Order: sequence, then structure tokens, then C-alpha cells
Amino acid sequence: MKLKQQEIPLSNGFSFVIITFDMSELIITKEQVKRIAHLCKLQLTEAELEKFSQMFTQTLAVIDVLNELDTSDVPETYQVTGLGNVFQEDVEQKGTLTQEEVLKNAKNKKRGLIVTKGVFDR
Amino acid sequence: MARLNELNLIDALEGLKTGRFTSTELVTACYEQIEQFDPVVKAFVTFTKERALEQAKEADDLIQKEGGKAFEKKPLLGIPYACKDNFSTTGIETTASSNILKGYFPPYESTVTTRVNEAGGIMLGKTNMDAFAHGSSTETSDFFKTLNPWDISRVPGGSSGGSAVAVASDMCIFALGSETAGSIRGPAAWCGVTGMKPTYGRVSRYGVIAMASSTDSPGPLTKTVDDAAYVLEIIAGKDPFDATTSPKSVPEYSGFIKDFDLKGFKIGRPRSYFEIDLEDEVREIVESAVKKYEELGAEIVDMDLLDPKYSIAVYTILQRSEVSSNLARLDGIRYGQNREAFGMEARKRMMLGAYTLSAGYYDAYYSKAQKVRTLIIEDFNEAYKKVDLVIGPTMPSIALKLGESDNSPMFGELMDVLAEPSAIAGLPGISINAGFSRGMPVGVQLIGQQLTEGNVMGVAKVFQQNTDFHLNRPVIKSSE
Repeated sequence: MKLKQQEIPLSNGFSFVIITFDMSELIITKEQVKRIAHLCKLQLTEAELEKFSQMFTQTLAVIDVLNELDTSDVPETYQVTGLGNVFQEDVEQKGTLTQEEVLKNAKNKKRGLIVTKGVFDR
Repeated sequence: MARLNELNLIDALEGLKTGRFTSTELVTACYEQIEQFDPVVKAFVTFTKERALEQAKEADDLIQKEGGKAFEKKPLLGIPYACKDNFSTTGIETTASSNILKGYFPPYESTVTTRVNEAGGIMLGKTNMDAFAHGSSTETSDFFKTLNPWDISRVPGGSSGGSAVAVASDMCIFALGSETAGSIRGPAAWCGVTGMKPTYGRVSRYGVIAMASSTDSPGPLTKTVDDAAYVLEIIAGKDPFDATTSPKSVPEYSGFIKDFDLKGFKIGRPRSYFEIDLEDEVREIVESAVKKYEELGAEIVDMDLLDPKYSIAVYTILQRSEVSSNLARLDGIRYGQNREAFGMEARKRMMLGAYTLSAGYYDAYYSKAQKVRTLIIEDFNEAYKKVDLVIGPTMPSIALKLGESDNSPMFGELMDVLAEPSAIAGLPGISINAGFSRGMPVGVQLIGQQLTEGNVMGVAKVFQQNTDFHLNRPVIKSSE
């Protein structure tokens, strides 16, 4: 993909480097954005699909810099504390919320339960 | 004499202990300041005035009854503070400045605010932020923009922008914020206050509305380093409700930094942090802070750290991925509005995160980022064999003008470039005011190894003992 760097000057002499690209070579197509939006349970307009497709392509182009680094023998770090197997003592937990408290913020409830749409086919 | 709301935390406590003024007077002074200036800078999204005044009265009664002894059990007794709106507060609306959480009244309290409240702290209200902390300017709040009190045509930084502004404008004695990568240090730098981002896991995340769970770190925004140490001592420590909190005991930071000695201290000056696109005056001011440390007896060591550009990429992937997972739980069924209420920024982050986590792309993006994260951590580990701390600019420029971030889909990540490496590695860092460029504050940051908050704050305190930048306060001018 052909990337062009474009400098957008800001006040005080500072500037952003904006990466622009040939629109025919989007890394993430509108179709893909539509699918991701579906996975995220978000509804997008046609204009938004277009915009996100450009934004994501732009962002992924910046991220591409990671490929400059060789990580073939490097393990992943998922958390930085070095802690493992953190257990709690098996004692009665005090301060559990009451049913009333838990339901307080739900809009649609019935007989002490939250009402939702069915998710399984009968 | 300084007005009561202008006092720093240590002085305010002294005044309350000696009976020079009451908590009611202190809280009232803060609200007077808020009522005068918040309509201009808009730091707060929610006020809790009635409750605060009741609590002040209770604090005054307790002080009357027990005298100075009351502060032994309640080290923040009668002290008014401002709280970022992503800390869950029982019965007080908590939105993370997002429309989707509008009308949400948490049934439980975050660990941090629980600790502050049990210590006698009095919450004045909740402060504005980038919605869900997605941003570095507080412009992406779903409600309104917060303005920088030094120049209201500029942003305060973010995401803890409201908290930084509340402190800088003397609307409170201290404030609580949270940082995922730059969200405490950034606004602290742009508003000229002290911002302490602790080691990941030093302060509990329980009840803090999650952004990127593997780097989220709550911390204080204060008027001085001494104040930050005092607050951190109270909020830090193991929490059974957050399994990532460190089991290591919390040092008595205030005592540790009291007579801090710089002699023999090695401060690393990473070339790559000064070679990025910095504003000239920002570079000069930070260099003069480095020189100041040299004069004060520290040894300055020029060193190499990985180019922070890699951290932008790593952070962008990790944060988008974790955001997509964390915001998936907002379904509008148990609480909050439905997903149509998500703002642009949240949508953008969730969707890109869903993409980088999805089958087929996971290895190329998420896994790759976690591997480079390992390299960044190893890079810091090597560095800390040679130096005790790392110094650098907090932000590459002074606060930007409102609206300037609109052009860039990665604005926050680019602005926070100098906070990201340490955030990814879970390191503690502090930003303090090191001077002014065109009337705007410029921050310098100090970054230490994990769980060395004492050293980080000690070295920062020595700077404040020998300079007076941190004592400057903005004169807030309304736009008329």
C-alpha cells in the first residue's frame, strides 16, 4: 500500500503527521467494518462505514511499525505484575449487594428479575 | 493570607488540626470558587454539595470532640476533594462522562473512594473526562468540553482533565484521577499541577470503570508532591476485590520523601525522548530541569531507550482490544442506556479492538503487540541496571487549542507518546510543573521501576523544594 505522510501544522509550531493513502487500497474495507460493527452490536450509517474504513486503515498503517522489530523468540506479556494464582480465602463474603440494589438500575424488570429478549430458539 | 481553597493538602490539614478554620469553612470556600469559575472552565459533571456540607459538619463535630486525635484514624478528615467520574460512587451518578451511563447510580463504591471517604475525605463532586477515558484532551466527553484555566481557548489535556482543572483552579484541595497511558500525567502537565501515576497494581481498580484493564492505574492529582505522597499512602495497597493489586506493604511515602537526598542518585536522560518532535521551548524547559537536578547533586546519565514510536503502536492495539472487551458488557439491560448511545470515540475503539482480536488478525496485531510489550519491559529493565530513574518531557507540546485533535484518529496516542512506554510496562511516573512557555505550564516527568513510588516522589519533591513553578496559579479569564 502506498502511504503518504502529510504534516498538519498546529498552533505553536507543533504539527501532526497524518498518514494518507490511496483510497483504492484500504486495509479494512467497508464490508469488513460492517461485519465488525455487527460483532460489536453497533449500527452504522453508510457515511460512518466509509469514515471508519478510512480511519482504521490509517491507524493500522501506523501500527505497522511493529514489524520493524523481530519478535520471533519473544514471549507475550499479558500482565505486568508478575503475580500468579491469586486466590481468596474461602470465607463468607460480606457486603454482597441485595437483590433490590442489583436491580435498581435495570429499566425492565419483573418479579425480582431482569427482563431481556430471548436469546435461544425454542 | 491565602484563601482556604488555595491551600495545599498538608497546610489544609494543619489548619483543621489547629482549629484555625473549620471543615465547613474549607468546603464552603471550595464551592465559592467552583460557583465563580466552574461556569467558565467546566471541570465538574456532578456536584454533591448538600452531602459535602453535612459531612463537613460531622467532621467539625469530630474534631471538636477529639481534637488532633481524630486525624490519627481519619488522616483526610474534613478535606474536600474532586473525583473523576469513572470512580463508582454509591448512590451518586457515575457516567465516565458518557451518554450510555447517563442515569447510572452505582450500588457500590470503588475501593479508592471507599478508602478516601473512610479517611474522612469529603467529595465535592465528580469531574469531567474524555468519555470512558478515551482521549487526551477531555474534548470527547459526551457532555461538554472542559477548558484549560491558563487559557480557555486551550484544552486541559485528558482524560483526567476535569480533575486537573479542579486542582489548578483551586476548586478543591486534591483530586482523584486515573491513567491508562498519560491520563494523569498529561493533564497534570498541561494544567501545571502534580500528577502521580502509580505502578500498575499498586492502587486498586475495583469500581473504576474499565478502560484498558492491563494498564489502568488510579492516582492523585495534587498541588504538591507532598500531597501526592500523602494521598497515595491512603489509596494504595492490596485489595481483595482486585487480584492484580500488589501484596507488598505500602511504604510510608510522606516520611520517606521528607528529607530526600539526591546524592548518588542516577537520573537517566533517554535520547529518544528528546529526539521526538518536541516544541523548542518544551525541550528547553525540560533540559533546564535536567540541569537543575545536576546542580542539586544528581548524576545525569545519557542513555538509550527504545524509540517511543513502538509504544504508540503497542498501546493502540492493546488499548483498543481491551476496550472492545470491556465495553462489550454495556448492554443497557442491567444498567445504563442501550448501545446506540455510544459516542464516536468509543465506537471507533471498540471496533478496531474487535478487529485486532479477531481470528486471523490476532497474531498479526494483538499477539505481536504483547511480544513488543515484552521488549519494552526488558528495555526498561536493562536501563534500570544503570540508572535509578528516567527523566523526560511529559507532553511534546503545551496544551493544544480546542478542536485541534479533530484531524487525527490517533490524537491521544500521539500526544501521550512519552507516557506510553512506562504505562505499558506498568511503571510509576510523576509529572510536575517545570516552567512556562507562552504562559502555559510545561511538565517534566520522572519514571521509576515498579513499586519505587517513594524514589519517584522523593526526586520530584526535591525539585519543588528548590523551585517555585508549582506555586503558580492561573488567573481565570472568562471569554468576554
